[in-house]
Amino acid sequence: MKFRCEREALAEALSTAGRAATGRTGALPVLSGLRLELVGDRLSITGTDLDLTIQLTLAVGGEGDGGVVLPARLAADIVRSMGAGKIEVAVEGDEVSIGGGRSQFSVRPLSFDDYPKLSTPTTSSVTLPAAAFGEALRQVVRAASTDEARPILTGVLLTAENGGLRMVATDSYRLAVRDIAEHQVLGADQKVLVPGRALSELQRLVGAGEELTMRLGDRDATFEVGDTRLSTRLIEGEFPNYRQLIPTSHPNTLTVEREPLLEAIRRVKILAKDATPVRLQMGGDTLRLTAITQDVGNASEELDATYEGTDLTVAFNPEYFASGVEACSSDSITLSTLDALKPAVVRGVGNDDYLYLLMPVRVP
Amino acid sequence: MTDHRVSDHRVILHVDMDAFYVSVELRRRPDLSGQPVVVGGTGSRGVIAAASYEARRYGVRSAMPSTTARRLCPHAVFLPGDHALYATVSADVHEIFTTFTPLVEPLSLDEAFLDVSGGLRLHGPGTTIAHRIRDRVWEELQLRCSVGVAPNKFLAKLASVAAKPIATAEGVRDGQGVVEVLPENELLFLHPLPVQALWGVGPATLQRLQRLGVRTVADLAELDEPTLISSVGAAHGRHLYRLAWGLDDRPVEVDREMKSVGHEETFATDRHDHAELLRELVRLSDAVAARLRGHGVAARTLTLKVRFAGFETITRSVTVAGATSTSHAIVAAVEPLLVAIDPSPGVRLLGVSASNFTTQSQQLSLDDLLEDRLDDHHQWQLAEETIDAIRKRFGTAAIGPASAVGERGLRLVHRGAQQWGPDEPTHA
Repeated sequence: MKFRCEREALAEALSTAGRAATGRTGALPVLSGLRLELVGDRLSITGTDLDLTIQLTLAVGGEGDGGVVLPARLAADIVRSMGAGKIEVAVEGDEVSIGGGRSQFSVRPLSFDDYPKLSTPTTSSVTLPAAAFGEALRQVVRAASTDEARPILTGVLLTAENGGLRMVATDSYRLAVRDIAEHQVLGADQKVLVPGRALSELQRLVGAGEELTMRLGDRDATFEVGDTRLSTRLIEGEFPNYRQLIPTSHPNTLTVEREPLLEAIRRVKILAKDATPVRLQMGGDTLRLTAITQDVGNASEELDATYEGTDLTVAFNPEYFASGVEACSSDSITLSTLDALKPAVVRGVGNDDYLYLLMPVRVP
Repeated sequence: MTDHRVSDHRVILHVDMDAFYVSVELRRRPDLSGQPVVVGGTGSRGVIAAASYEARRYGVRSAMPSTTARRLCPHAVFLPGDHALYATVSADVHEIFTTFTPLVEPLSLDEAFLDVSGGLRLHGPGTTIAHRIRDRVWEELQLRCSVGVAPNKFLAKLASVAAKPIATAEGVRDGQGVVEVLPENELLFLHPLPVQALWGVGPATLQRLQRLGVRTVADLAELDEPTLISSVGAAHGRHLYRLAWGLDDRPVEVDREMKSVGHEETFATDRHDHAELLRELVRLSDAVAARLRGHGVAARTLTLKVRFAGFETITRSVTVAGATSTSHAIVAAVEPLLVAIDPSPGVRLLGVSASNFTTQSQQLSLDDLLEDRLDDHHQWQLAEETIDAIRKRFGTAAIGPASAVGERGLRLVHRGAQQWGPDEPTHA
């Protein structure tokens, strides 16, 4: 087995698939490797940790079909370090040579036979516009938890809603809900919980293609964009009943321009050390942001806004607040509140398909 | 002309109380005066906190296991520590210091640095101030202390050691009480000392230095700095080199910023199950939270320390979304860490500490909303503030967590209560 291809393409492919390979050498050391298989002029590269699998195919100049498992990190580092131009990879007995320009590496492969056999999904597929799905991922995945202590919350819920697809994520401090209309991906009562980690990898891949193909099974989900396929095991368990969290009425609504608000939060945040909350003082036609860190100093900024409701001060974790405002794609956002202790809702003006709910910080 | 020394040199005093805990005990037990007296943990796992000079003649030293001390000096009188009393007396001593200078940096209950540079014209030279402090501490509190006078903290501390009484096998000799290191005599005083006298020369460093042929501070000063650095590391090497030449520009800091608050307890008998440990955790958290509130701070990071029967020690930390100062919230954050450890080998010591201070705030969660307990944390805060008020009025032992109630009544954790080891368990 031997193939030649451009350094750029191979480096990209190795690092993409490598993100699914494990960094640790645990029970199955071979999972720290990437499986390369050559058939004719098609090279497929697979990385998996058994929860997440990324596989992609690459057009190369092939010479002799065959397969090999290379240490993922090492192979990616070698190829990335080479100068631009052609790379040649050849399996010679117990060694794999990687050469480019006048550089030559020889690497010991991992056991090809130990690499797990991965099944190809057979369930029926649906096709979605990649850009729209990517935007939805951008808006929702950020609210998923990364705390493995509560595995359910590390997932993003995909469910059918009003004839379309709904995505929901929460880390128990905030909640993001996004609807993609007219794409009936799931059956009426079907819902799946996809790991947030897999979806943030998917988010990096969707830029490359026009269409996204999705297959949802009972235990796993597969997404295809162009020549790349990402499969993930689904999370089992019941997602919290998020509907009852979303307030039905909000007496207070603030409308403010998104970009100036983001800049103001960024500035004020300089004085919000660690988890210091940012206070929002709403009343009249202004929004005042303040951050006070004891023994360090304070920051405050005033923004033009329109406000309907009673004067109110509410405090948020600035990271969480900025994240919700940033996720909206419109020029202005609304912040709807009930009081200083109840969840607040951020929406983009003119975009009813996205909602970001966040819990305030109680300050003395 | 004014005295140039006022501006050119600092005058730093290091005041170290002589056998402080023992001396405080002798004030209420004058009958024990002149006898070997030891203060510390009385249990089998106790350590010595202080020994009278008479006990030191037999080789008894502080930090020594109580069992060793009993072997060395079986006729010594062993007294349990009374931390609260020592703290009160320490405050009285501190009061005397502040009549000479506001720049007082307490290092512990029984020693402090004083910067008297600004008071030389008013109170006289450093040694005069030192003698006046000694006299007043003796007259007002019937306690002895030794004072080092020097241009910096490092030399002042060494000078106070030189001023101490000396206990030898033959008897106890009075010390000089006050030793001054004049700026022009710094090296004369410092260089003949053994290198172990330097702050930061422990057994490991000592071994490395001995390989370089270093015995005295003078030997160290004669090494070139790169050689020293290659032997003990860059930061440590530079630090030692400066000390060897008597250089130390650390200021006397009145308010050393508090970085963490913690309590730990060694159990008289090892604990083997989670339920028992959880009760201890509640007691410890109660004490930590009370101190946080007392200082008006809230902590984001909480750390659990567990020492197993075999002395293996682990720590586990968690950082919470808000910032807390209630025992309720501390227990809630630390309990999962405790549950995750296996206590079956036997747990000898448990500790809880809080750090990463900020102002009080609480990130509300959707779980709180779903379970209708948005106000719970706030209510706990109010409840625990009420506990503070009750304790202030009726004493610390007036109220405490139910899980701290044992066969012998309410057992609260308080500062220094068993810093020298647990008392023997009593059996009914």
